[in-house]
Amino acid sequence: MSYFRITLTRSGIGMPKRTQGVLKALGLRHRMATVFYPVTPEVAGQIMRVKELVSVQEVDKALTKSEVRAERRPDPGFYLESATPRSDEAVQDRGRGNDEIWKYGGFNMVRDGTGKGPMSQWSL
Amino acid sequence: MFGAFRPTNPLSGGLLWKIPWRLSKFQKARQRKRLRAVDSLVATLDTALTKKNITTKAVERWKEEMPIEQEMVPKDKYTIFDRKEKKYRKSMRKLPKWTRVSQRVNPPGY
Repeated sequence: MSYFRITLTRSGIGMPKRTQGVLKALGLRHRMATVFYPVTPEVAGQIMRVKELVSVQEVDKALTKSEVRAERRPDPGFYLESATPRSDEAVQDRGRGNDEIWKYGGFNMVRDGTGKGPMSQWSL
Repeated sequence: MFGAFRPTNPLSGGLLWKIPWRLSKFQKARQRKRLRAVDSLVATLDTALTKKNITTKAVERWKEEMPIEQEMVPKDKYTIFDRKEKKYRKSMRKLPKWTRVSQRVNPPGY
């Protein structure tokens, strides 16, 4: 099942009533509003009536309103780490000279060797 | 001399509009971009419908009658036929809502 992803890029203000009616029928009330409709001749004809005002993509899946919103949300630039429980074995290993595991502030840090920064080669 | 009601040419009664006849190169570039946007939209519709073996009259008729942006001559992209105008052509910007309507073909011979 494929869908048309229709986004209103130009306003319908001042256009003929028939054109504005098509936008209303498609559920495009505001600029940058996005709607999904299955690929049918009826929808294709509606898009042709407002082809100068919208941008259209063919997609496999219809997204919900919240999914479209999540798409627009920018990358926050951080992520939250979760702490692993402290184990005694790690401490003993360190005592025997195993440098691959060390304790830092309640976290057991393990060297993975894939990181690029000075601290990033230590992961939880 | 200064202020809102200074005696400039348009304000001193005479009809004087200073709207350039030609579009600037930037306006022309945006016009071409809009034409191409409509072309790509019709192409998207066409590929989506052919995958499902559907033909739509609106799409078929557009493909048959309308030239794509690359096929159009500059005269048709930036000017429009007008029987009252000298040399039968006026600037595309004289068409109401010209950035939001399609105007691609003109009478043959003009």
